Amino acid sequence: METMTMDSQLGQEVPVRGIDQALRQLWLQDESRTNARLINLAVYSESAGSLAKNSEIVRELTREHACRAVLIEMDRAAADASIRAWITAHCHLSGGKKSVCCEQIAFALTGVSRGRLRNTVFAHLSSDLPLIFWWQGDLSPIFEERLYAVIDRFVFDSSEWANPQKSFDAIDAALASPRPLVVQDLAWTRTYHMRLAIASLFDDPLAQQSLQQIEKIEITHHPRHRNTGLLLLAWFAQQAGWSTGAELAMKIEAQHGAKEGFAFDDAMGHPVQATLVADEASSSLASVRLLGKNLEIVIERASHSPHLHLRLRVGDHITDTLAPAGADDSGALIGEQLARGGKNSLYRKVLPKFRELLAAHP
Amino acid sequence: MSNPFREDLVSRTRPEACTVVIFGATGDLTHRKLVPALYNLAIDGELPPGVKIIGFARREKSDEVFRQGLEELNRQVSRNGHDDEVWASFAPNIHYHQSEFTDDEGYRRLAETLDAIDRDRGGKGNRLFYIASAPEFFDDILHHLKKAGLNQAKDGCWARVIVEKPFGTDLATAQRLNRVVNETFQESDTYRIDHYLGKETAQNIMVLRFANAIFEPLWNSRYIEQIQITCAENLGMEGGRGGYYDKSGALRDMVQNHLLQLLSLVAMEPPTDLSADGVRDEKVKVIRSLRKWDTPEKVAANVVRAQYTKGSVSGKVVPGYREEDRVDPESMTESYVALRLMIDTWRWSGVPFYIRVGKQLPKKATEISVHFKSPPGVLFQSLTDSGAGGNILVIRIQPDEGISLRMISKIPGTSLRLEPVKMDFQYSTSFGKASPEAYERLLLDAISGDATLFARRDEVEEAWKFIDGIEQAWHQSGVPIPMAEYVAGTWGPKEADDLLHADGNHWRRI
Repeated sequence: METMTMDSQLGQEVPVRGIDQALRQLWLQDESRTNARLINLAVYSESAGSLAKNSEIVRELTREHACRAVLIEMDRAAADASIRAWITAHCHLSGGKKSVCCEQIAFALTGVSRGRLRNTVFAHLSSDLPLIFWWQGDLSPIFEERLYAVIDRFVFDSSEWANPQKSFDAIDAALASPRPLVVQDLAWTRTYHMRLAIASLFDDPLAQQSLQQIEKIEITHHPRHRNTGLLLLAWFAQQAGWSTGAELAMKIEAQHGAKEGFAFDDAMGHPVQATLVADEASSSLASVRLLGKNLEIVIERASHSPHLHLRLRVGDHITDTLAPAGADDSGALIGEQLARGGKNSLYRKVLPKFRELLAAHP
Repeated sequence: MSNPFREDLVSRTRPEACTVVIFGATGDLTHRKLVPALYNLAIDGELPPGVKIIGFARREKSDEVFRQGLEELNRQVSRNGHDDEVWASFAPNIHYHQSEFTDDEGYRRLAETLDAIDRDRGGKGNRLFYIASAPEFFDDILHHLKKAGLNQAKDGCWARVIVEKPFGTDLATAQRLNRVVNETFQESDTYRIDHYLGKETAQNIMVLRFANAIFEPLWNSRYIEQIQITCAENLGMEGGRGGYYDKSGALRDMVQNHLLQLLSLVAMEPPTDLSADGVRDEKVKVIRSLRKWDTPEKVAANVVRAQYTKGSVSGKVVPGYREEDRVDPESMTESYVALRLMIDTWRWSGVPFYIRVGKQLPKKATEISVHFKSPPGVLFQSLTDSGAGGNILVIRIQPDEGISLRMISKIPGTSLRLEPVKMDFQYSTSFGKASPEAYERLLLDAISGDATLFARRDEVEEAWKFIDGIEQAWHQSGVPIPMAEYVAGTWGPKEADDLLHADGNHWRRI
């Protein structure tokens, strides 16, 4: 006989075959609540204790993004194959009056049994709504073609990867598949507001004219977010037309201490020196400095500040302004990205250059 | 030279650094809408660095006092709340310019100030003039802008003007105002603002129609029986509004602009592209195709005007229209108007468009309802006595922005009984994040040079041409059309109900 438990985070445990019926019962209990969903959000983790943590993230996320959430925790090392499920709803007051709720189904799977994720878990997705799949941690063999063939947007955080080269190879394979998969690297999403700030400063015609005068770029990041710093550098180099390829590999400077250096040639063939600084005290992406003969651009984010401070000096022309810094934590980043949408084509464009830099300093 | 770092960052036209000069800067619109809109754009990172704001008004004031007043209101009304750090960065970009609207010297000084700002900004001299003053100053402001040379864009820059409604009070005044505007600014640099078009659901009308395959094939006289547009307000003439309103009335205040704009979005043909002129070309064709009435009798048969009498709204006793503050006790200005419009095009032949707008109605609501024809009654004819009716698609503009679709369904049970059910989409339920205020979107569009959501000269003039026909029948005919009455707090006069009953229809219950 099965023993069903109640979990303060995950809700009522239910038999896997009775999930749909239990969800219906959940809504019958209180008819004044509105069940809303625009997407399926699956959150997958192979870390113990992830369900409770992810349930809390989803609770916050559903304030702005109505979804059916499916949480999955997989213990692939366990000897026996098992599956348990819990259901709950995250409810929020909309406009101070209506209670708007989103369903959550949490699955705990153990043991290796191919196809259970697709066959059992995905059977509980809401039909016709897009599937956003958030993979936490390194990619495992579970990430294979038959899985990503049903996903519309695949979210991951390359900053979490112990072996980025291997995981990026898997991503490359997925991107080459016939069915278009939109990928979302949270390390890239973290650069969004910094990129927006840089772009806005280069809207200034004087700054644009000085683009070829840049001699140095310095990016400061948290040590855990090296990929974020590297992605930003790759993007800047790509968009500014800085050189790549074998020539670049030859110019890579040795990595030392908390700093690592890269050398580029700009579009006119002038040398540009790039430095990535890892700082324990900084936010994921703390600052970008661009220095040239007549140009100085500094974009800084004080730790935990919601704002970026933008300073531009071209000769005597100076501007000083604030811009939003955006979120740092994964849940909020996903929320931001869901609000923006898009196919992330720029990320795919920047990825080869990023991987070159990554290969130069693995 | 394009900015290589902009690629893929935003899916809209890029706003450029500029100076926004607001005429009538001490008014309510500036304090409650315009500056909070610019502040919220700054908070969201949408405003480009280097945007300056100059408030132009007659009262003596320092920059500091002006900023304090704006900050006070911003704390109360800002959509994103008020952040002291952001305000501290935003406020130094706001300046006050004291001058009479007719003072040459004031405009000369304004030109100097703008030049100094441009120099400081590195030569980028984009200027956006927002005329938010009382309408009687429009001419003077435009005339003096031209005289001071401020209408001329510098090389590689732009000078644009936003004109607040009313765009005239009839066709003649609108044409004259348009002439003055176009003698000062190019039509392509003229932005006539209608804040209804900045609302999320209004923008969604085109998406709903043209991005969904299921609606457009049915969007014609073959499948649609009637369309209703309602704009109800549960307020009267509070706050001294009667002074302006009594000179205007519901027809000129609301129908000529907001409601005809909504009508044109609902009834337009698909544009060839999403450019400003592509969309506006199609909208103006709708207004041009409105059937005109050539006699007062025909106007009377299709238009009902009314005033409210003493009643109660939301549990509060309210006076009749003629007893309101600053309203002429013998006023013949309508506080309510209902119209039956016909659009003489292939698509809409024979489909009535019913429009109603009024003050002191039971609740505040603006919506468009599309009533589809009932299916052939072969199968369920004997069951439709329940009043099930046909399908209705409702586009709610405010409040509770959203879309609902009424369908007919079988009631569970052993017998076959039909009742309507509703599928409902609400922006607030599905998207927790609040939509930008209409003025945020529209100001950003004007800064970006996107005029799609602004009225073009010919749209305004065609709308006035149509409205003038009704006004003339009301005020200049030998046998004036009677003014109906409705008790405040009700849904309008009986005559408005009769207007629809004559066609076998009735107003949708809201």
